[in-house]
Amino acid sequence: MKTLRILTGLILATATPAMLRAADPQESDYYKITTFDTPKETAFEVSSIELLPEGKLAVGTRRGEIWTVSNADSEPANVKYQLFASGQHEVLGLAFKDGWLYETNRYEVAKLKDTTGDGRADKFETVCDKWGVSGDYHEYAFGSRFDKNGDLWVLLCLTGSFTSQTEFRGWAMRVKPDGSLVPTCSGIRSPGGIGFDADGEVYYTDNQGPWRGPNNLGHLVPGSFQGHPGGNKWYEKAPNMGRRPVDPIPEAFQNGRKRGDHAPHTDPDRIEFERKRIKELVPPAVCLVYGKIGNSSSFIVCDLSGGKFGPFEKQLFVADQSHSNIARVFLEEVNGVKQGGVFPFLKGFKSGLIGGRMNEKGQLFAGGSDRGWGAKGGQPFSFERVDWTGKVPFEVHAMHAKPDGFDVTFTEPVDAKTAGNVASYTARQFTYAYREEYGGPEVDEVFPKITKATVAADGKSVRLTFDKLIQGDIHEVHFDGVRSADGKPVLHPVGYFTLNEIPAK
Amino acid sequence: MFRTILFSAVAPLLIFTTGAFAAEVETITIKTLKAQMRYDTTEFDVKPGQKVKLVFQNDDDMPHNMCFFQPGTDAIALANKQIENPDAALKRDWIPEDKSLWLHSKAVQPKTSDTLIFTAPEKPGVYPFVCTFPGHAAIMNGKMTVGEKGKRGPGLTGLKFQLYLGEWKTLPDFSKLKPHREGDVKDNLVQLKFDDYKNDFGLVFTGKLDAPKDGEYSFLIASDDGGRILIDGKMIADDDGIHPASTVREGRVKLTKGVHDFRLDYFQAAGQAELYAAWRGADFALTPLTKALHPDWKNAAKPKKKNENSGMPLVVAQEPIIYRNFISGGGNRGIGVGYPGNASIAWSAEYFGPVIAWRGAFMDAARHWNGRGGGQQLPLGFDVLRPAGETALPFAVNPTADSPWPEVPKGERAADYSWKGYDLDAKRYPTFHYEWKGSRISERFEVEGDALAGQGKLVRVLKIDGSIPAGAVMRVATGSAITPTGGGFNVTGEKLSLEGHAFDNVFQVAVEGATVSGKNLTVPLRPEIKISYSWPNLHAQHLH
Repeated sequence: MKTLRILTGLILATATPAMLRAADPQESDYYKITTFDTPKETAFEVSSIELLPEGKLAVGTRRGEIWTVSNADSEPANVKYQLFASGQHEVLGLAFKDGWLYETNRYEVAKLKDTTGDGRADKFETVCDKWGVSGDYHEYAFGSRFDKNGDLWVLLCLTGSFTSQTEFRGWAMRVKPDGSLVPTCSGIRSPGGIGFDADGEVYYTDNQGPWRGPNNLGHLVPGSFQGHPGGNKWYEKAPNMGRRPVDPIPEAFQNGRKRGDHAPHTDPDRIEFERKRIKELVPPAVCLVYGKIGNSSSFIVCDLSGGKFGPFEKQLFVADQSHSNIARVFLEEVNGVKQGGVFPFLKGFKSGLIGGRMNEKGQLFAGGSDRGWGAKGGQPFSFERVDWTGKVPFEVHAMHAKPDGFDVTFTEPVDAKTAGNVASYTARQFTYAYREEYGGPEVDEVFPKITKATVAADGKSVRLTFDKLIQGDIHEVHFDGVRSADGKPVLHPVGYFTLNEIPAK
Repeated sequence: MFRTILFSAVAPLLIFTTGAFAAEVETITIKTLKAQMRYDTTEFDVKPGQKVKLVFQNDDDMPHNMCFFQPGTDAIALANKQIENPDAALKRDWIPEDKSLWLHSKAVQPKTSDTLIFTAPEKPGVYPFVCTFPGHAAIMNGKMTVGEKGKRGPGLTGLKFQLYLGEWKTLPDFSKLKPHREGDVKDNLVQLKFDDYKNDFGLVFTGKLDAPKDGEYSFLIASDDGGRILIDGKMIADDDGIHPASTVREGRVKLTKGVHDFRLDYFQAAGQAELYAAWRGADFALTPLTKALHPDWKNAAKPKKKNENSGMPLVVAQEPIIYRNFISGGGNRGIGVGYPGNASIAWSAEYFGPVIAWRGAFMDAARHWNGRGGGQQLPLGFDVLRPAGETALPFAVNPTADSPWPEVPKGERAADYSWKGYDLDAKRYPTFHYEWKGSRISERFEVEGDALAGQGKLVRVLKIDGSIPAGAVMRVATGSAITPTGGGFNVTGEKLSLEGHAFDNVFQVAVEGATVSGKNLTVPLRPEIKISYSWPNLHAQHLH
């Protein structure tokens, strides 16, 4: 009895702060991050993750190891590691097919197999090694999983992330089943990850730098130019790609203005204007707003778990190495061009995220390192898992562009009073210069008025009417005043929609 | 008597003997790190005349020792020199015969220890110590500093920072500006990384410094861009303006014993951003106050800091180790393999052969596994050979003595060759596969004997399937002098230089049916070719 009383007392003592927090939802109420212990003999700098049969994982590391991980879907104490291969040069892509594990390392795609059953690979067959390497460390090669046509994609970072010193640096290439290498998209700068949406369309993340104002999520349409002209000399070796696109304007300051002087929407060095002139230029589907969403974009994972990861089925989860976080992206297609919005999703990973993958149970595995590029996480490397707790966060589910505003859907019914009040919202429009100089600030800032907020009959969506939409701009929308029907604020109340196209209806 | 007592001593321990003699014994334990070929402590300080009990505990899987040398000795070179006469060195347990050797442990077997009892020299100085087993000293080394000279001064306490945003060409009056952000600096070391600002920001650091006694103190600063140090509100060292951090500015101030206010102002305009600060007192050496160390302060008393480009050796045990990375001399598609038997190669998947081979230790991964992973890394061993050229291909059809051997221009790919990958056999030895003009070639290496001893050989076996083009020959070696010797050839290859280190490239090669043709030693291509390369034991060429 005495023991029981003490226990009750403890529960009461801890219950008070917990109840206080309950009024103020946090990410961890909805998504739980589990950190795995990793093999002591190595630095488990996760750089790629693939699913294997029987619920196992293959994990590639920056040190060039590939580990087979068992039971990562259960209690962390049950996790077992087996070193499958070592000595590879930065494994930035893993894909499993027909009993072979395909790795993308610095200079080749190779397929690996354990033929003796000892858990260690003994065959390392080269599938394709036809792209160039110069010995520059920044010439990373990111590999995809197999796409819907059975091809692998390889993203070739520019030499030093600035120029293209060897063949097809700055390109997205496809490796066909016969091992041939097909130049597919130009204009890549410094990729951080590649993935597919629910329809199998291919996307990649690219990082801020010359010709890249912010980090972005690019839609890899075969034949497209993704914006950085550094690698365009290789069009001469890519007859399938047609003629080399015209070059973008290096930098434009009209009327003798200096950088930073305010002249909204007149400078021609904007993606929005240049894509009219450069027909191959595909605008970034989503700008991953620099400093706010992240600083160093990395993996892309699509939730295909059929609801096991929460209410964001078929949306994309895009990680950031520097911020050690994951953002959430929803997409739509208007006039044949992909566009969409990004919201913060989950922070607090232990190191800089690089590799990630979701299993059929809706468990998201993520890991990385802060080596060479600092990360907020604070640990030199990490391997973690995200599980949905089963509780639905009150979030903006998606936004869809309309001729005069956005249709905003929420994950839960809204409180009609706050959601129907224009004072619950604020908005800001801005863009970035599209220019040769490294990165750049947010420019052309405009504060539009939200003139109407109409709650739909379903009680879960709101039609926002703007006094003006600006094609090409990022539309930053704050939802600070909106409450759910049961009084919760929006968990992540600000999002950024990249409006490449304004629909006619 | 004294010795006996010391063996049971636990430090620090006062030992009383008759006559009221008291000596404080310092006990130091130095361990080896498993599979890293390193000591866990690389620097320690002792006072002149100090009684020391040093426990050397070998936790590694191979024997090691600890040899101390007189100040100024190049202990690494001395240890490495023993490879010139390995048989004699082996008999001495690799303890060098040299008058500069001051103290040494015995060869300590794995999982055992040796205890050295000694009185520190009266002569102040830095006494290097190394493990003198072959190939170990280059990374298995450290320093014992005798004297007050190497002593560190106090560090900062209560360090806080204020971060300002703005564009400046010289240091502004920060007191008139509003900080963008401020906070504590947890490790009390001045540093630049706050948030992600790269350009147009300023920092003010404030903290306390405790002067150990009355006297004159020096403050040093080097900054990119401007910086200055103020003590008790007075400017002592000034490095203002936009410039690189190459010049160290020094200012002196008399301080009374006790706590003083420290302040450092800094701003960054654009480009490189660096900041170094340190202080020095009458009884302590240059002591950094910044996280980063100025290149000129390498010899300063400093917190133990690992050298990021060495110290992660890949130690070959029973199985070969594969390391695909930027190996100096290994080309852009090099596959490093360290073999049991103390020889290693970098096999090139663009030139289709062992573009370099060496003996001794395999590779140090630290350069690639710390930081971003760039840079060419030298082999960790020595006597690097390039048996058959840097960018040359292995095969030619009907070459003449004068015709140039087929090469691949740098940055291009060999048109007739294709790389197929490798597999690992039961002993985890790789076999490389590639194709040439309809022939399928596989190539495997192993070491016969010990490459560090006289008779060791690196044996390369090629197996060729498919149709062999008529007149096809393989070049197994190239050099200005190829002379037959008992059962093989002595080759004087072209000298090679890797990262500024020169190698003579002199070796022996044996292969059946070889002929000398000009500068080339060739064999007709046939289904199986066995080649052995070996090192003459004349001398060793070290890398470090």
